[in-house]
Amino acid sequence: MSTTQVNSICPFCGVGCGIALVASDNNIIAVQPLSKHPVSQGKLCAKGWNTPFGISRHGRLTQPLMKVDGKFKVVSWQHALSHIAKSLKQFIKESGPQSVGLISSARATNEDNYAAQKFARAVLKTNNIDHCARICHSPTVAGLKKTLGSGAMTNSIDDVGKADVILVIGADPTENHAIIGGQIMKAKLSGAKLIVVDPRQTRLAKVADMHLQLKIGTNIALLNGLLNIIFDHGWQNDDFIKRRCEGYDALKAHVADYTVEKVSKITGIKGADLVKTAKLYSQANAAFLAYGMGITQFVSGTNNVIAVSNLALVCGQIGREGTGINPLRGQNNVQGACDMGCLPNVYPDYQSAIDKQVREKFSHAWQTEVALLPGLTSLGMSHQARHGNFRGLLIFGEDPVVTDPDRNKVAQGMRAMDLLVVIELSMTETAKMADIVLPAASFAEKQGTFTNCERRVQLIHKAVAPPGEAKIDWQILSELANKMGMSELMNWQTSEQVFDEMCQLTDSFSSMSYPRLKQNNGLQWPCNKEFPDGSRCLHTTTFPIGKGKLIPVEYELTDEIPSTDYPYWFTTMRLHFHYGCGSMTRKSPLLERETPIGLLFIHPQDALDLGLKNHQGVTVSSRRGCVETRIEISHQVSPGLLSMPYHFKEAPSNFLTNDAMDPITEMPELKVCAVNIIPLPENQTPRSSVLSDVGRSYD
Amino acid sequence: MTEANNMANKLLINDLDVLKHHIAKFYSVVQIQKDVNGQELWTEQLGDKLDPLFGHNHLPLTSPKGFLFAEKEVLYKFDGETFETILPRVHPKVLFGVQACDLSAIAYQDKFFEHDPYYQKRREHILLVGIDCESPCANGFCVQVDAGPHVKDNTADLVLSRLSVDETNEFSEWLVIAQTEKGINSIKGMMLDKADNKHLKRRRELFEKVRSEFVDYSYISNAIEYLNDNSVPAQLWEELSVRCMGCSGCTNLCPTCSCYSTYEVVEKKTVTPASISNEVKLEVTHSETIRCWDSCLFEGFQKEASGHNPSQKAAQRVERFWFHKFSDEYLPEFQRYGCVGCGRCEQTCPGSIGVHSVMKRIDQQCCN
Repeated sequence: MSTTQVNSICPFCGVGCGIALVASDNNIIAVQPLSKHPVSQGKLCAKGWNTPFGISRHGRLTQPLMKVDGKFKVVSWQHALSHIAKSLKQFIKESGPQSVGLISSARATNEDNYAAQKFARAVLKTNNIDHCARICHSPTVAGLKKTLGSGAMTNSIDDVGKADVILVIGADPTENHAIIGGQIMKAKLSGAKLIVVDPRQTRLAKVADMHLQLKIGTNIALLNGLLNIIFDHGWQNDDFIKRRCEGYDALKAHVADYTVEKVSKITGIKGADLVKTAKLYSQANAAFLAYGMGITQFVSGTNNVIAVSNLALVCGQIGREGTGINPLRGQNNVQGACDMGCLPNVYPDYQSAIDKQVREKFSHAWQTEVALLPGLTSLGMSHQARHGNFRGLLIFGEDPVVTDPDRNKVAQGMRAMDLLVVIELSMTETAKMADIVLPAASFAEKQGTFTNCERRVQLIHKAVAPPGEAKIDWQILSELANKMGMSELMNWQTSEQVFDEMCQLTDSFSSMSYPRLKQNNGLQWPCNKEFPDGSRCLHTTTFPIGKGKLIPVEYELTDEIPSTDYPYWFTTMRLHFHYGCGSMTRKSPLLERETPIGLLFIHPQDALDLGLKNHQGVTVSSRRGCVETRIEISHQVSPGLLSMPYHFKEAPSNFLTNDAMDPITEMPELKVCAVNIIPLPENQTPRSSVLSDVGRSYD
Repeated sequence: MTEANNMANKLLINDLDVLKHHIAKFYSVVQIQKDVNGQELWTEQLGDKLDPLFGHNHLPLTSPKGFLFAEKEVLYKFDGETFETILPRVHPKVLFGVQACDLSAIAYQDKFFEHDPYYQKRREHILLVGIDCESPCANGFCVQVDAGPHVKDNTADLVLSRLSVDETNEFSEWLVIAQTEKGINSIKGMMLDKADNKHLKRRRELFEKVRSEFVDYSYISNAIEYLNDNSVPAQLWEELSVRCMGCSGCTNLCPTCSCYSTYEVVEKKTVTPASISNEVKLEVTHSETIRCWDSCLFEGFQKEASGHNPSQKAAQRVERFWFHKFSDEYLPEFQRYGCVGCGRCEQTCPGSIGVHSVMKRIDQQCCN
């Protein structure tokens, strides 16, 4: 019984830690950290260490399943794919290519994602391709595209160690990007000043020099207020603004309205702290700004990102070591899924899908007509499904029933579709609702590339064979294309062929290849003729749009605010020990053991006022739905604010969340809504919301 | 004990490959290798085709702990009617080139797992070939915890010590000490010259030389005293423990850590027993009970069924870990501290609370 060891990249968050997979008897039995990996340097977080449980063969889907008479039946690949092809062709014929679409997986490889958007555009002739960045960093992609011309993290992870000021807004890196969180704590120990802006008292907030515990949803008021203070004191970087920005006058005039008194009132932050923060950030030699869902997941998400960008540009804290606008991309390959064009409006490398020249380029390269009409986002597809206009959907490695906002609407949309195909590792809640479930290979069972948050494209290697009849995403799409009569289009034999095809059609990846990735421990895009060894730091001399744009944005209220019926603010968060819908991390007995007894985090004062004991059962309800769970008394939240993690299918917080959207990106306002609590009788166990094996909920 | 003193079991060799190939006739070779990315690891994968790596420059981040105390293993199975112990299927392996620190750790775990049949089944099939370190490693402080840099007595079957190396001829002179009966048997049939007292003296000289090259991390010795004095204030543990993210890296990599948990993998199988009838379908529960490495830094580690948790606070858990590594209270049972000075926790901790960071902070705080 000997073991083999293969190097790979952790499948959880966007940090992209090096990890070695130890295999024995075709099972991953252990993982090891890699001391020489440039990002992780011999470290892993609890999720990374528990990878073997996450992808173990136990509980994995191994054969295609089709729902027959309300029950799942094992079918052959031949049968399943033929049925899917036939259905899709029928829908396209009857209702047009707008009636079908794909959701690709932000946790699958670049190759899988490239294949997904090619299948959509070249085979189905639709631009209806999207993925979970929609509900995560789509405002980053849109916002920074407007202000800088590029939506990716501008600096590299190790710039954290080169900053003398670190500003973290709406992110909880020690829990969700643990290795980066650790580096931030280390920088603080080495003398850097740390400022945390968050309505919750996160771990970083505890060690920070300043924690601005702002009222939820008041980011723009805060950021505009900081800008006003900076202009008042002349703390802006005049030289940088002159050389590299435009729109200064308009912005300065606009933020004059955001006086310290006004902003203090809106945000709940003391004037003195606002001034101190403005001074620290603007006067730093190098200030590293990181942000997350606490900036993006709002109806004002895109504007929030623009406000962040304004701050960094005005202070010249970009384009140099130790600085930058650094969105912390969540998933292991959400950066890649965006880069590969799994978005309704762009092709790979963000080439516009409505640009005639781009369409012609891809049409020519792929030797076929490509999609013409603008595409739907994931929420758009769900919306159209509920109205009977969207009929067939393929979802890869995503569990929207648990992770998308307004669960009742999501489920309604799924039920309304004529064909729902889910390609997954295990029977998730979304898979239960599917008509056809196809078994997928995990990251340990294939070769390919992931792109982490610092744009580093890294190779993963196959350590074990996929279980049973499971296949790789791009293989499934290749075979489906074949069934639809377009076999020449996606005729790849290896993932390297897919990668090479993609590189040829983009600029940012044009100098990449598997051998070069291997040699260099990954390469950060853009990696092209101008930057053949990749790019550590973007925008060093110029922005893709030339000068950075300063764009005035207005503070606006969140879509919902507390009222008599729903008197509490409600927000969503993540726990350290679980990931996403929990389909992988909850397979680990060690991580599952860390799950708190109560999932509704509530301030002791609120619990007292309601007469609640710790861990008592309650019903939490919003305008959209309700959920039963136990409370967890905590000082992390402030009075009047409740929060829940979204990892737990027995108490899905998304029954409560609001899908009111950012008009620019259709990002739903996951971070805030209004709820009410009603205690359950003292010894009553909260009712679980887990669906039956075939996707039915029982009332 | 007499084995070690017997000069008949102290021999000389010039080419370690010859030794390895001899041993490889009866043992599968496990040694430190570099993978394609230059990452070092203990692996059986490449067999004995390549030269072994050893010494201070090649201490892999993972110790050979997993070859004895398996990271995951089935303890027993249940087939619906009976329970069956599943002992590991093993074949003889030689761990070739283990550093002194890791050997001290194995000796420690030998005591902890003395009555553990799973550990012992693996253990009895393993030959330990230790190698003296010739220089301090990056984070190591084995000298201060009596775990190196030379292989401690009675921690290996064979001890290899390089007495001299002539770079131009690539000619090395190795002292080979067979310390146990297993060790003696493993080199039976080899025609090796006997060493004499001058070789032993040379080894002692080298030991003094290497030892003197170690930085004296006084904060470590000081902190060990403060820990045993109970003079570390609770507030310091509060401060340090904020940075513990419960990653479990320290306990996974620490070669003396031995805590484990068990869990069941249950499968319901439908069987149609022919002895009854073709229409009768019985649902039979099959289960495997598996042991896996655990970590005392997890909040759930000591959580009880009622929800009560004696180590609810991270400060308590972090303090407990260092108590286990440096408390005198374990000396009667193990004759040494839990810490062997390998420094791996320092490298792997994302929160900067590995051994050097913690001991420095304790020394800073307490020497007022």
